[in-house]
This record gives sequence, structure tokens and C-alpha cells, in this order.
Amino acid sequence: MRPLAEALRSRGVVVCVGPGGVGKTTLAAALALQGAALGRDSLVCTIDPARRLASALGLTELGNIARPISAAELRAADVRLAAPVEAMMLDMKQSWDELIARSASPQQRDRILANRFYQSLSSALAGSQEYIALEKLWELHSSGKHQLVVLDTPPTAHARDFLDAPARVLDFLGTDTAKWLLKPALRGAKLGFRLVGLGGNLISRTLSGIVGGQTLADLAAFLLAMSSLNDEFQERARAVSALLASEETVVVLVTGPAAERREEAVRFHRSLLEQHLNVAAVVVNQVHAGVAPEDAEAAARLADPLRGKLERTISEANSLARADALGVSALREAVSPTPLLTVPRFPGEVHDLGALWRAGAYLVTDTASEEALAAAAAALGA
Amino acid sequence: MTQLPRPRLLVVTGKGGVGKSTVSAALALALARSGQRTLLCEVNSGGGATALMGYPPAGPELSHLDGELWSVDVRPAEAMREYVLSKIRFQRVYHAVFENPLVRAFLRFVPSLAETVMLGKVCWHMRETDGPRKRWDAVVLDAPATGHALTFLGVPQVLLDTLPPGTMAEEASWMRDMLVDPAVTGALVVALPEELPVLESIELAAGLRARHLSLLAVVLNQATAPRFLPDEVKALAALPRLQALARGHAEEAERTRDAVERLGALGAPVLELPRLYTGTMDQATVASLGTRLLSGLEGRP
Repeated sequence: MRPLAEALRSRGVVVCVGPGGVGKTTLAAALALQGAALGRDSLVCTIDPARRLASALGLTELGNIARPISAAELRAADVRLAAPVEAMMLDMKQSWDELIARSASPQQRDRILANRFYQSLSSALAGSQEYIALEKLWELHSSGKHQLVVLDTPPTAHARDFLDAPARVLDFLGTDTAKWLLKPALRGAKLGFRLVGLGGNLISRTLSGIVGGQTLADLAAFLLAMSSLNDEFQERARAVSALLASEETVVVLVTGPAAERREEAVRFHRSLLEQHLNVAAVVVNQVHAGVAPEDAEAAARLADPLRGKLERTISEANSLARADALGVSALREAVSPTPLLTVPRFPGEVHDLGALWRAGAYLVTDTASEEALAAAAAALGA
Repeated sequence: MTQLPRPRLLVVTGKGGVGKSTVSAALALALARSGQRTLLCEVNSGGGATALMGYPPAGPELSHLDGELWSVDVRPAEAMREYVLSKIRFQRVYHAVFENPLVRAFLRFVPSLAETVMLGKVCWHMRETDGPRKRWDAVVLDAPATGHALTFLGVPQVLLDTLPPGTMAEEASWMRDMLVDPAVTGALVVALPEELPVLESIELAAGLRARHLSLLAVVLNQATAPRFLPDEVKALAALPRLQALARGHAEEAERTRDAVERLGALGAPVLELPRLYTGTMDQATVASLGTRLLSGLEGRP
């Protein structure tokens, strides 16, 4: 059995990671369909789907609400599932608000939500998306409503940006850091933060010189408010990390065939392994297939100008297929023993349920991917 | 050498995977070869754009590639260090404070700080002088992809909205002024002739406008020129696989035409780069793309 079919059948969480523009969201949705076909009640949680893909999944708005993919549309696309499948679109800001609302007392909550650092943290600032996506994943998984949750992730060039997010929160809120930074304030009678008031402390003086004393005080007030949630956060961040590292979870690294992508994918893969994650597969999406020699011969028997046009097109297609096949085999070697799967480039774009279904088949069946490889190999030999 | 009437800071952005680095490298190479002292700035990318031209990947230190071409990969830790040292000037204080693990953890929790110091470094290069003139005739910024780019370029404004007056607010203010001045900064949005990249480019252009950045051009990468006539595709009915190939090509050309039309509505020139079939990039290829881009930007045929 294909490694991904095995994962879809037996694991609870599949996290699709990779750089932008390689079809991660599409493949996440395709995997959820395949999971449901294998009889598992599935959910795909997407970050920022293309409009047509979103509408194919029945998603019309953000809002963290899982909606079933229409059975009628699945039937119309000739997709036969053995279990229900749902989709949702993650709303980052709302997820943060929910997290705070859940963890804080009403008074604390208002103080945090009103703090301008919080407002930037949850909406404008880079880096918080990664954490909240993982946090949501934990919640979805723990709710037990679905047997399989497939998570699409924000595009990141570096695996660490994403997978370090809970550790970063833990690290910061970890006893040492928080205590050290917050000690003076916790000791003080007033809420007003005293990091700046550390007096002659070189560190606080230097920090205020750089970011401005008032900024530091405001940030500290925010952190102090957040620190009342310290235990909740720590527990949650630890749970998120534990879920990622557990046997329940597999990671699928999605990449493209372009040569420029290869090194990035190898680096990404290495850092996933360094963090002891279960990398179920590296998927190379949108691999160009070549033209079979007999088709090239048929083209050669035609009359010009059609013959010339076709020959030029065939030679271009074969160049692309040759370059992709070489790239895929180099990548396969570099990530071994992690299995590498390829999904061919479909003419047009993969947006409707039928196309998602066909793309997904390459991830779970033995034959489809081999055929694609054989076609690429044929082009190589041509 | 005459100064062209175009902004010195060229910000290249677009959806992930559309070829931003290729466009950045091509533009930088062409500018340098036209005699302008050019700095290619990558943003924590590992130096990939520089590597596309066949040079070793750019590192955090400025490196001279060839002729008038330099490059650097702006990384958060090094940018932070440079920024802090420019403020406090004492190496030992830097070590004591910023290499303190607790402080590092503290600073990492403020993600905009990384963006701020990285963007700050880019803006700082814009201000560098060489005697009476600016050191760089052109700075090409290989910016992050859409969402991150808007966050990145919006950082000064967010800081201005967030911060009370102080050192960082002052920094944010001059950075913002530099970015929104169309005489200084122009953005190039890179797109592909596919639905999502086109839609995202249109949204990105709106996002740039909302941040008051001027859109210099849209670059349509991997454009396909028409080849097969509708009748020729029909004539291949007896050879279904070849017909599919021809139809696929015709559809790509059609998507290119459609993309040019939709992107053209953004009010900036659409510069087409042809789809390449080599699979790998080398300096000659990058240079030829760059020459096209530069001609397009300068309004030459």
C-alpha cells in the first residue's frame, strides 16, 4: 500500500507543508477526499484557497465553521466516498480571539483584546498565523468530531518558521524567560510594568534605547496580561507540540518539480526530520509528462505548417519532462528513505471536485504514480 | 551615465512560485550591465536569486558579484545586530544584551521586529552615499510572497499606528516615507497566466495601493504566444493525444491573452516574459530575460 494511503487510513492528522505556489491547498483537499473514500470521517482545514477551489469545496466565507462538501456535487463529479467529508477556511484573527476568550477571565480578556500589541499580534504581524493554525489543528483533532483532519498551512520558505511556532510560544512563556522578564512587575503592587524600571540594569536600558521606553512598557503590560494565561498557554503549546510529534500525525511535504525548488525542498525535509516529525511522503506536484515516441512519429507524418508546430510543441514538452524527471530523481535520492510521490501536471487547473479526486488518486494508489513516472521516463529515452 | 527617470528601489513581489527571484535577478543583472551600480537584496531567502545567475548564494554580508552588481541576503539576526550596533556602537553591550538567551526569546516574540530591522536594512542601503552621490543607482528587492510582502511593506505603518513616539517610531516614519514616494520606490508584481496568480496579483496590487506604494509594472512570467489555429486543433481529431497537446498549447495561449487583459486593467504596463523550456536557469538566460524587462520598463519595444 502507498504510504499516504496507510496514513490516511490509520492516522488522525495530516499536515501539508511547503513553499507557496506548489498546490498545497489543492493536495490537502485531495487528501481529505481520499481519506473519506477510505472510510474515514474527514475534514480539510484550508488557509487561503483559490476562489474556485473554495467554491468547489462549498466554502463561501471565512469563519472557522466546518461545512460538509455537498453530496450531490460529489456524485455529479463521480466521486464515491465511504464517509462524510467537510471543509473549513481558517480565520486567523477570529481564532486568536477565540483562544483568548477561552483562556481568560472576562476582565483579562477585555484588557488583552484592547491592547494594541494584541491587535497587531493577531492581525498584522507576521509569524502568529503559523501558531494559530497549529492551535486550531489541536482543537479540531481533540474535538474528536473527525477521524482525519488534513491541515493546509501558510506558505513558508523555512520549515522552522512554522513548526517552531509552539516551541517559540513555550520558550517565551517558559518559566525562566517569563519569570525573569516579569519578576519586577509581579513583585510590584501596580500593574504598570517595571521592566523599564529595572533601574540601572544594562539590559533594560539598552532595550528601551532601541525600541523606546514607552513601547517596552506597553509591550510589557501586554505580556503581563498574557502571562496570567501563562499556564493555559503553556499547556496548550505543549499539547500542540506533542500532537505534532505524536504517532497520530504525519507531515506531507509538497513541492514543485522546478530545479530552483529542489534545494529548498531538501532543506525543508531535513529540518522536518531534525524535529522528529513523521514525514509520510514528499510529494512533487505538477510534474510535466513527455510525449510518447509514437506520437512524435505520427506528428512527423503530417503536413506543414501543422507538423512544424507540433514538433516544436513536442520538443518543448519533452524538454520540460526531461528536466522534471531528472529533478525528481535527484530529489528522490536526497530525501530517501522518505517515499517520494509525483502528481502530473493536469492541463488547466485543478479546481473542481473531479480534478481533485483524480489528483488525489496519484497519492494513494500504486499504479497512477508509476504511470506518470513511466511517461516521464519514456520522454527521457526519446 | 544618465539617471533614468525611474525609482531607485524596485520591489519585486507576487504569489509564491511565480518567479519573483528570477525576475529580481534578471532586473538586477540588466541594470548592472547597463552601467548602473545595482544591489540585489534578498530577504532571508538563502540567497537563491543570486544563485540563479550562477554565483554562490548571497549571504548576510554584501558581496560584489561582477561589474556593477552586488547582492546581499538580508537576515533577521544579522540585520538586528547591525541595527542595534548602529544605535549603541558597543560590541560588548550588544553581546551582553542581545545575545542573552532571555532577551532573544523576548525579541523573537515580537515578530514585527524582525521585519522592521530587515526592511530597515534595505532602506538603509538606499540612503548609503559614496561621496556626493548615492552609493546605489538601483536597489532591487526580491520581496517575500503576497501575504508576507504586504506585512513586510506595511510594517512601518503598523509601527506608526502601534508605537508611541520614540526611536522606533522615527525609524518607521522615514521608512514609510521612502516606500510611499513614487519617485523613490516602485513595485513590480509578478504573475503567471493562471487563475490564482492572476487573482492574487490583482489583490496584491490593491494591497500595495492601500499601502500607498506605486505600481511600476506587472510582469507576466511564462507567457505563451499563440501557435495553433482553432482549425488546426480540429484537424487532429484522428490523433487524440496530439490533439490534446495542441489544445493544451492553445489553451495556454488563451490563458496568457486573458491574463494580459485582466492585469492590464491595473493601470500599469504588463511586461510578458516567454515561457522557457530549458528546465534550468543560467546567467545567459537570466540576462536575456533582464534585457526584455528593462526595455519594457523603459518603454522601448
